[in-house]
Amino acid sequence: MGTIRGWLDDRLGIGEVSGFLTKKAVPLHSHTIWYYTGSSILLFLGIQVVTGVMLALYYKPTIEGANASVARIITEVPLGWLIRSVHSWSASAMIALVLVHMLSIAFIKAYRKPREATWLTGVLLLAASMAFGFTGYLLPWDSLSLAATKVGTDFPKAVPLVGPLAAKVLRGGEDVTGDTISRFFITHVCILPLLIFAILGLHLFLVQRHGMSLPLERDAREEKPGWLPFWPNFIMRETGVWLVLFGAVITLAIFAAPSLGPAADIMAPAPAGIKPEWYFLFMFQTLKLFPSRIAGLNGEQVAVMSMLAGLALVFVLPFIDNRPTERKGRVVSWLVLAAFVYAIAMTVWSLL
Amino acid sequence: MKLKYSLFSRRAFLNWLLGGGLAALGAAFIAPIAKFVIPPYKEPDEVKLPASDLVDLTDNRGVSFAWGNKPGLLKRGQDGALQAFVTVCTHLDCNVTWLPDDNKFYCACHQGWYNADGVNIAGPPPRPLRRLSAARENGDILIRKEA
Repeated sequence: MGTIRGWLDDRLGIGEVSGFLTKKAVPLHSHTIWYYTGSSILLFLGIQVVTGVMLALYYKPTIEGANASVARIITEVPLGWLIRSVHSWSASAMIALVLVHMLSIAFIKAYRKPREATWLTGVLLLAASMAFGFTGYLLPWDSLSLAATKVGTDFPKAVPLVGPLAAKVLRGGEDVTGDTISRFFITHVCILPLLIFAILGLHLFLVQRHGMSLPLERDAREEKPGWLPFWPNFIMRETGVWLVLFGAVITLAIFAAPSLGPAADIMAPAPAGIKPEWYFLFMFQTLKLFPSRIAGLNGEQVAVMSMLAGLALVFVLPFIDNRPTERKGRVVSWLVLAAFVYAIAMTVWSLL
Repeated sequence: MKLKYSLFSRRAFLNWLLGGGLAALGAAFIAPIAKFVIPPYKEPDEVKLPASDLVDLTDNRGVSFAWGNKPGLLKRGQDGALQAFVTVCTHLDCNVTWLPDDNKFYCACHQGWYNADGVNIAGPPPRPLRRLSAARENGDILIRKEA
């Protein structure tokens, strides 16, 4: 036993990893709770991988098979309804946690030097998560998902020059058809997973490289933070958090399973009350408010360009607010809060 | 031989040459991939509807047809002439509904309205619905791109 262990340690360098883990510590202070958001995202990512692979055992990404195979999963496959429901709820939980994680970092100003690159990879991870949600929404191929995808893949057309081409690449042609299902499926189960794990690897490496960020007040009060050993103390607490979150998602999945409409017909009129996933609702509502013409410009174009500009601002936040770590940054806090309130208000409005 | 005032060293020149060559090589690999991901699409030259469909035009409900991958609608205008539309919203590409009782087209995605001639009258649509030409030929109705 000892020799096998010694051999593995020598060839793989396990000792270095476990040595790193035993030395790693998590700062302990009044904001420690936000550290759990990051690792909890990993829980849901793990659930997505497991349930996603399970669903792919039965799902058929074709115009004839898509809706019918999902119907089969939820009506015939043993516990299929639960697996699909968990996949759907866990996706929502993951996006919600990504948003909370990001907001906490924006408020604590943890994106400042030297953690700018960590923020950039984080925004890319948010984009990848939303792309997962967007591509996954089409796959059940009912009338709601078709209409939402038609709208979602039509936006890029408003971007000058590259827009129309991007829309064609997304759709696989002029219109949302069976070709769109194929490419959304392969994007959802292959391209995005490769991307998200690559970016996530870099993100986690950067978190280790720069260490965990301490809140501003801590430096101001110049008191030494307590440190919680990562192994086993933090892991144990984390496990508790994971169990609670897992329980919450399973409960929601059991009592509020997502529905499945009849198979989409690309010739049928759009159904009333189309809505995208909740995390796109604020954009959906914003778009509804824009008139067709604004100051002689195409309203849709103005709306799409301003949303892209907003996303770009979020992405480059560490370079706009590049002041030293000890500065408070109240303006950024207020702007982030304003954006958050706007998003919540728009989401609530769209649900009314 | 090195020129006295050259701002462009031999090394820089070779680097550009090599870099440019590699970029061109990369483009040669990417171009076929980019070409592959967009399938060909051709609009139909014409759609033929049997004359028996004309019977259905009397009650203002119109007749649906497929214009390639898009839905189309044939109906009679106020003056009794045939009108054909691509019933896809000009806002964000949702399929619109013809409401014969209101004499309007309606897009449920973002509450867009068009009048009986397909002209955008309310909501976000920026342009009228696309018109197609419809004509009777040898008893059939031929729908073609508008000239």
